[in-house]
Amino acid sequence: MEAMIIIGNSGNRRTTGLQAARARLGLPPALVLDYLDVLQGKASLHSVAQSMGQTLDKPPLLRLDAPGEHFEVERELIALGAPDAAFQHEDERWLKFNKSVVQPISVKMAKGMMEAKGKLYHPSQWFRGYCILLTKLDREAARLWNTPRWMNDPKDIAAMFDKRHTHQILTSAGLPVPRRLAAPEAIPNYDTLRDAMAKERIYRLFIKLAAGSGACGVIAYQVNPVTGAESAVTTIGVENYLRRPPIFYNVKKLANYKDPQVIRQIINWLLRHGAHVEQWIPKASYRDRTFDIRQLVVAGKACHSIARVSRTPITNLHLDSDRMSLEEVGISEQLQASVRQCAEQTLSVFPRSTVAGIDVCLTSGSNRPYVLDVNPFGDLLYHSYYVGHDPYEWEMKMTSLSTTI
Amino acid sequence: MSECKLSVDYDQYESGVKIVDLIEALAGKDETLQLESLIIGDWGGAYENDSSEIVEALVRLKDRFPQLRSLFIGDMSYEECEVSWINQSNIGPILAAYPELRSLTIKGSTDLSLAPAQHDKLEELTIICGGLGKDVLTSISEGSFKNLKKLELYLGVEEYGFDGSLEDVLPLIEPGKFPLLTYLGLKDSEIQDEIAIAVANSPIVDQLHTLDLSMGTLTDSGAEALITSEKIMKLKQLDLSYHYMSDEMMNRWKQSGLNVDVSDQQDSDEDEDYRYPSLTE
Repeated sequence: MEAMIIIGNSGNRRTTGLQAARARLGLPPALVLDYLDVLQGKASLHSVAQSMGQTLDKPPLLRLDAPGEHFEVERELIALGAPDAAFQHEDERWLKFNKSVVQPISVKMAKGMMEAKGKLYHPSQWFRGYCILLTKLDREAARLWNTPRWMNDPKDIAAMFDKRHTHQILTSAGLPVPRRLAAPEAIPNYDTLRDAMAKERIYRLFIKLAAGSGACGVIAYQVNPVTGAESAVTTIGVENYLRRPPIFYNVKKLANYKDPQVIRQIINWLLRHGAHVEQWIPKASYRDRTFDIRQLVVAGKACHSIARVSRTPITNLHLDSDRMSLEEVGISEQLQASVRQCAEQTLSVFPRSTVAGIDVCLTSGSNRPYVLDVNPFGDLLYHSYYVGHDPYEWEMKMTSLSTTI
Repeated sequence: MSECKLSVDYDQYESGVKIVDLIEALAGKDETLQLESLIIGDWGGAYENDSSEIVEALVRLKDRFPQLRSLFIGDMSYEECEVSWINQSNIGPILAAYPELRSLTIKGSTDLSLAPAQHDKLEELTIICGGLGKDVLTSISEGSFKNLKKLELYLGVEEYGFDGSLEDVLPLIEPGKFPLLTYLGLKDSEIQDEIAIAVANSPIVDQLHTLDLSMGTLTDSGAEALITSEKIMKLKQLDLSYHYMSDEMMNRWKQSGLNVDVSDQQDSDEDEDYRYPSLTE
């Protein structure tokens, strides 16, 4: 039986879901290495590997899972990304953009942060911390095993987690992606963004926090070239104060901002933390709503898929969208095959990775697939089955069982 | 071939395809002679390009569409263009060029006009928008649509082009204006209560089977006028979906025995300033 280590947050939906899937397949539970313990130096791949005893001669399957939805982990990652934190130069090697964080938080400040629900603490410093952690784990695994068996290679995760980097990789691989407005360096703020929009005559855009996940940090932004009116549909909220800096936070309900001052402030904040800006491609409709598709790919093969049907441009928001099957939204088998093929080609650009949730939209009109996002942790899909298996069971079947048979 | 939708999608717009090219290509086909329904979707950059070229092309090519009975200009989702940003134009020449048309639907009201507003056979006229200008309302009420059976107008909000008041809506419901009208939709309005009160006991209700006051800011005050009207109680159907009525009023409707849609109740606890019609983006 295959040994496995999950680096994740124990007890959350992902970890328990995967353990339950293993139990159903008769596999022993995976050992869980908590992000928090790693970050606080209480445990490591080494200590977990030691506790596995004699199975160490065979490298276990290593799975990195999402670090999110855990305030203490977030705080530690922001501290790890602090400019005054101890790190080796090599730790920064997977950071393609924002190598120096704007308005950084010191280690001491970061560790002293208090939880405020929904607050966006410091996305760019958080991502810097996460990339540093990924390099550390990668190095540690390479010391422990000759050929570490990562389900998703940490370097790939760093690349998939940065939408700017992902877009570059997919573009050079010739995959269909919405056209980027400009290189991230060319649009550091609102004014340069507007200049680029006028120059390119592109008035409808998605501005996405480079290392955001889900609907977090996404703006569907458009400018009316005739009237100058602006509209920014987003979950980002801002609270301004007289005597301290504004707070940006994430809300569950979408807002449609029209006030140029508010829009400028939010866009400036996003661009400062690093954002990917691309054309807003009109998505195909299902009745009076539109949809995109989350297509899971495991071990090179497309499997689970769901259509996210929404009245809003931001389909990955749970509150305002329905999850439906591709059949239910009337996608022909031929189109489904083109979505699967597009998603499989996308994951193949990351040959050291086994699992990703690829977000694909079909264009309104010609139904051509475009890749909108690549989610290294995009396998948390409820009520979704492929040949009778939920995503976690399917992943375990494809990775753990195949090698023991 | 009885229905066809033409639109310029993302890839086509990027590569410079024009909607007029698509219309001309369609008109060049023999099947077009049998076409009954034409839907014009996104014509590409509708937030800056108006529909005048479409109108011009359809008028010029009218002989290629002898069977056309239903026309929709502007069938696009918010993904393609915000409804209040769609630039229309004068659709009047279409009416003159297609005397056999039965149904006309227009989405978007920026720079929309309807002159001359006259058609002897049109049965359905629908305008979907975020705010309808009073000049269009006046065109319709002063125009001539002898055969109109269904009139559905999204009135919307001032911010998106509704520059009128109840006074501009009232001429539409004057007796005898549309002798065959059976479906009246005066909906998606920020003055939905005023409209409900004005319509509740007006003579036009006697000829209707459906009254559609949905998608607006209807509250108990407008609903009270409706529920106490004998004329309203004789309707076959009353659409009040998307509203700000109280639970109590909804119960009264449920007990009224009338076929009434009171779904999609909005949160009415908030201040009056925060009540919006449905299609206001």
